[in-house]
Amino acid sequence: MSSLFSLEGIEFRYDTGEPIVLEGLSLQIPAGKVTAILGPNGTGKTTLLHIMLGVLKPDRGKITLSGKPHQAYSRQELSRLIGLVPQFESTPFNFTVYEYALLGGSPYLSPFQMPGKEDLEIVERALETAGISHLAKKPVMEISGGERQLVQIARVLAQRTSILLLDEPTAHLDLENQSRILKLLKKMSDRGESVVMTTHDPNAAIFGADYFVLMKGGSITACGSANEVITSQNLSRIYRVPIRVEKNKGYPMVVMDKGEA
Amino acid sequence: MLFLALAVLGVFLASIFVGRYPKPYWMPFRVFQEDPLARQLVLKLRLPRLITALLLGMVLSAAGAVLQMVFRNPLVEPGFLGVSQGAAFGAAISILWFTRHPLVIELSATFFGLLALAGSYFLSTRIRYGGWVLRLILSGVAVSALFSAGVGFLKYIADPLTELPELTFWLLGGLYSVTWRDLLFVLPFGLAGLAVIYAMRWRINLLSLDDETAFSLGASLSRERLVLLVFAVSATAALTAISGIIGWIGLIVPHIARRLLGASSEKSIPAAILIGGIFSMIADSLARTLLPGEIPLGILTSAIGAILFIYLMVSIGIKVRNHV
Repeated sequence: MSSLFSLEGIEFRYDTGEPIVLEGLSLQIPAGKVTAILGPNGTGKTTLLHIMLGVLKPDRGKITLSGKPHQAYSRQELSRLIGLVPQFESTPFNFTVYEYALLGGSPYLSPFQMPGKEDLEIVERALETAGISHLAKKPVMEISGGERQLVQIARVLAQRTSILLLDEPTAHLDLENQSRILKLLKKMSDRGESVVMTTHDPNAAIFGADYFVLMKGGSITACGSANEVITSQNLSRIYRVPIRVEKNKGYPMVVMDKGEA
Repeated sequence: MLFLALAVLGVFLASIFVGRYPKPYWMPFRVFQEDPLARQLVLKLRLPRLITALLLGMVLSAAGAVLQMVFRNPLVEPGFLGVSQGAAFGAAISILWFTRHPLVIELSATFFGLLALAGSYFLSTRIRYGGWVLRLILSGVAVSALFSAGVGFLKYIADPLTELPELTFWLLGGLYSVTWRDLLFVLPFGLAGLAVIYAMRWRINLLSLDDETAFSLGASLSRERLVLLVFAVSATAALTAISGIIGWIGLIVPHIARRLLGASSEKSIPAAILIGGIFSMIADSLARTLLPGEIPLGILTSAIGAILFIYLMVSIGIKVRNHV
């Protein structure tokens, strides 16, 4: 398995005196797959994603991207390699879907440059791939939560990166939209792109991912395939509730155990 | 956009003939051709004043739009973040204690304007409660109040017969004393600010996103924000140094521009620049024409701006935060 990200002994805290968020974290993220980072709320998943992005620097430890130290990449190189879909993108300005997705072309433009014809064509293709061409002229504040996630993905498609980091892409979405997003991510990894997503929902992870990482208290407790990682013992330990894992068509299926009546 | 550009030209040409000479409200073209005094009046007084009004409106609107997008807060304008009060304080210090040379006044105004902006920004990062919008507004109010107190103190110690009336009228805002020389001193600051903001008009969209997203898209956030803020604030402060405090243009015009041409700064910033120019040329023409005596421009822009703001709030509801 060739590693995309390799993290070794990562330690991070947001401010001196504040509690440690990531502690001695070591992890290999495979290239060309969908990796799901699973764990309860507040366990450092988003922080880990931001360290992979490079927006946060670890206090200790080493991080490499495709075998090269993370800090060896320039800002421009990183922005052409890694795209981010945050859980929420808050903006008080009511951009249209098209205007928002067009921002994906920024890494290829200087601060004084305007998007050209080619950038516009790329955005049109990105909207088409995400299946939201019909929403192009709609203001982003007037579309549904699932559609907003697709708009963010279209923006990253227009960014043309080979690595995609997503923070809780299926949180707050109904089952139809969850399936839509996860299938799109799978399609992207089939094309050779690497996808890393965080989630606190094991079933969403099983549905969409090939590689699984379990996190608790700022460090990794297990990683590997679904059958290796998604076990009743592992999940009950990290989520601190009784959890049953059943088999469905050869894949694990996670059920909260109600216990004895 | 073409319509707005033509409107700027139309209002500019019309404003040349609006005034109280030879009689109230309108000077026929024939008078301009035949009366040497009228020509002198237009060329030496009205024209520099009109160009300054145009520049002032353009700069305040552009700076307001930039501040709103960079701070991701549609309720921000230079006055809300203490920039205007800081600049007024800087200019007043220079007038009272140092020199009335326009360049020194502008530099002093720019320095204190930037100091006020930095003060508001850092104070907002130290407040431990409330969202970003609330914290920024609170710190802006506090920093503005500090500089207002400073200006109040300067008024208190100013000579009541010579310095105080001049200072008070200047603080109310107005372009009544603008000459070609004043305009020449502010022109480089104003044009430099407008040029940088216009050149970065698409990029500014990126700076209005969450920090992590903007970073992932290759923005050097601190550097790009700093460049924009320095140019926007120094242009605002330089203009404030000759106009006094002109409120509301920087808040209301970007809203009107977004309503007309959409949220993307690629279009809304050029539109705000043009609308700002029209707004302040009209307000200044009213200020010098409506009454036999000059009405301070700041009073007019505040009155018109506040009424428009109320209308926009009630009719469309200005959204403070939303998620993509």
